[in-house]
Amino acid sequence: MLGAALLKDLRLLARDRAGLVFLTIAPVVVITVAGFSLASLYGADPRGTSAYLLPVADEDGGRIGRTVRAHLAGDARVLVEEVADREAARALVRRQVAGAAVVIPPGTTAAVGRGEPAALLLYTDPVKYLEVANVRLLVEELRHGIEAAARARAAARLEKERAHAARARARFERAAQGLERSLEAVSARLRAARADAERRLAAAEAEADAAAAQSRAQLDATLEPLRSFLATLSAREQAFATWLAAARAAAGRYADRLPAPPAPPEVPPALAALAADPEGLLRRALPTAPVPHVALPPAPALPKLELPAPPALPAARLPGALRIAETSVTGAPAQLNTFDQNVPGFSVTFLLLGMLLGVSLGLLDERDWGTLERLRAMPAPFATVLVAKLLARFLVGVAQLAVLFAVGRAAFGISLGPQPWALALPAAGIVFAGTTFGLVVAAAARSRESVLPLGSIVIVTMAAVGGCWWPIDLEPRWMREVALAFPTTWAMAAFNDLMIRRQTVAAAVRPTAVLFGYGLSYLALGLLLLRRRTAA
Amino acid sequence: MPAIRVEGVIKRYGARPALAGVSFTVAPGEIVGLLGPNGAGKSTTLSILATLLVADAGAVVVADRPLPAQAAAVRRLLGFVPQREALYPPLSARENLEFFARMQGLRGTAAARALADALALVGLERRADEPVARLSGGMRRRLNLACGILHRPQVILLDEPTVGVDPQSRERIFEAVAALAAGGAAVLYSTHYMEEAERLCRRVVLLDEGRVLAVGTPAELVANAGMAPRLELRTARPLPPGWLDGVRGARPLGSRDGETVVAIADTALAPAVLDAAARAGGSVLALTLHRPNLADVFFSLTGRALRDDVAPGAA
Repeated sequence: MLGAALLKDLRLLARDRAGLVFLTIAPVVVITVAGFSLASLYGADPRGTSAYLLPVADEDGGRIGRTVRAHLAGDARVLVEEVADREAARALVRRQVAGAAVVIPPGTTAAVGRGEPAALLLYTDPVKYLEVANVRLLVEELRHGIEAAARARAAARLEKERAHAARARARFERAAQGLERSLEAVSARLRAARADAERRLAAAEAEADAAAAQSRAQLDATLEPLRSFLATLSAREQAFATWLAAARAAAGRYADRLPAPPAPPEVPPALAALAADPEGLLRRALPTAPVPHVALPPAPALPKLELPAPPALPAARLPGALRIAETSVTGAPAQLNTFDQNVPGFSVTFLLLGMLLGVSLGLLDERDWGTLERLRAMPAPFATVLVAKLLARFLVGVAQLAVLFAVGRAAFGISLGPQPWALALPAAGIVFAGTTFGLVVAAAARSRESVLPLGSIVIVTMAAVGGCWWPIDLEPRWMREVALAFPTTWAMAAFNDLMIRRQTVAAAVRPTAVLFGYGLSYLALGLLLLRRRTAA
Repeated sequence: MPAIRVEGVIKRYGARPALAGVSFTVAPGEIVGLLGPNGAGKSTTLSILATLLVADAGAVVVADRPLPAQAAAVRRLLGFVPQREALYPPLSARENLEFFARMQGLRGTAAARALADALALVGLERRADEPVARLSGGMRRRLNLACGILHRPQVILLDEPTVGVDPQSRERIFEAVAALAAGGAAVLYSTHYMEEAERLCRRVVLLDEGRVLAVGTPAELVANAGMAPRLELRTARPLPPGWLDGVRGARPLGSRDGETVVAIADTALAPAVLDAAARAGGSVLALTLHRPNLADVFFSLTGRALRDDVAPGAA
């Protein structure tokens, strides 16, 4: 019976062309329109399909002007229109053709080159707030880029100069070391020369001493007979004296009568002196200093090479650029594809509307067609019919989301996250919640006419507040807290985690559990209301 | 043993009583008409029998099974044809029948046979594969009947099955209902068309404001009401007082705007009444003979017409 009832509901849906259009084509159209329309909410469309027109007037014509134009031309977020001068740029903004225009004033490159401040001009239309904000951000990024590049160039140049100075210093140090080595060599040579001179002098002195000794020996040999004669003479004189003394002693009182002995022959004093002091003769004969003492001059004191400490290389550093290194905490790209938000958002919206129409109006159709009454008089449990209807809508809802995500992938390149299959969890959860919510509306609504006002108000509110139409972070905090009461919020949280933040299936488990919790609550409420309605 | 036994059934919607002690029976093979104006309680009675509503008091027994205690068992024996066309317009006649056959628990060849029989019974074999939305009103009514009886139920509840139906389809429905009864089914036929009740029903339950006014065969009800045939004369000039004095068994009931109503004891007195009018110089322009019927009986019992759009005796 369940299969027959399911088949019946699928057949009914297949015959409902308007319903099929509503389930598939309508959301694709709305997703497309909304995606392009709301692209600026996400900082302009990264695919370039909704680029802003940006007039650029390069009055500078220098390097900075060329750089600015080249960077802007290469950015898909803007469509650059080069204009002649600032008046032309201002005119385009004033005519509301563009929300902002950039002017590079004349002399910008020169001023920057001289280290003077310079400014880029940005003409803006305050009404086009988002466009201006996005262009302002773009120009700021560009300005930072140019400054960073200039700083990098200056830093490179400074580094080059430092390297050059370091090389010069190294060369100087090498030269000083060479000089020191040369001085050392000269000193060594001086020491060697002195030593040689001293050696030679010592040899000369030794030779002179030897000659003197030889002369002394020869003199001694020559004087030996003389000294011997003189000694014999002295001894004879001594012996005569002794004898005379003895004779006198023997002569006693007559000693005085003894004749005075003849005076010994007098030895010439010079001869006596010669014999007595041959050294004197040598001293007189030989030079007192046979080798003149040569006082070698001290080795010249070579100048101490005390090179001054090379000056410390200037520590001048350009102040580092303070950049913002943006890193997605999940590894996802920082720039969002607007359709990553819009495809799930509007798919959920149309899913809920489809469920509202499918389940609520489907049940009301059964009531209006009278088939509900007939079925209740049949053996098949009414629950079977109801379950089949809900199951059919559940399957159709899942298929609807699958189709819309596939279209989103094919047409708009949306991300399906690292685990595309994980999308099935929140998809099943929101489809279940939507299906059972349709049951609540069907049971609560008194008539077909009251379904749309009642259901659409609730669904539109849930979709808008739950972040289906715009990022939920645009909403104030209190509204975001209120939004937790809506299944749409949990579904979008899971889709955002999986698709945009590129998280794994673990991120979808809790939201999915909450969605099924909502679904079960709606189911219980719907059955309660339906029972009361049918009992009445 | 009756297939349907309703005894002293009371049903209220809030403070308003819909049924105030209704009692009747339907035997197997019998077609019983439930006749009454809108709001008389016909649909409430059928809804209680179809297990859609529960009586506040009284006894309801279908095929020897009390309600609501054995509602599930009763549903297997029951064929309910609601007043509205309870069909899926986007589906074909065959798909509708297939679905309701499955809901009745039929499968396979039994379902296929029942489907073919039902299509043949209501004469929709050639249009079986067309979406219901493309069928005429009469065909949809026939399909509505087929969906209710394709499982050959013992008890059939028909809630005004010929409303808005062309004569051809109505005839087809009559034939089908008669065939079902001939097959042994107990048929409770709710209608406010007294001619349908007179033609189809062996017995009639006259219902008004939740009460049974009378039960019996149509002839019995008319006879019991003591009503006589009526002649309605349209004359060129007003008839003078005493113009009918010479006709025994005839008496004037009233005269207004050139129309005069005369009660006659026997339809054979009509020529005599016509002659009397001619003699009185009335110059008869039109003459209508009314035999008393169930609508007249209802009018005589309640002082109100059976149908809001039809004056008593007009049918």
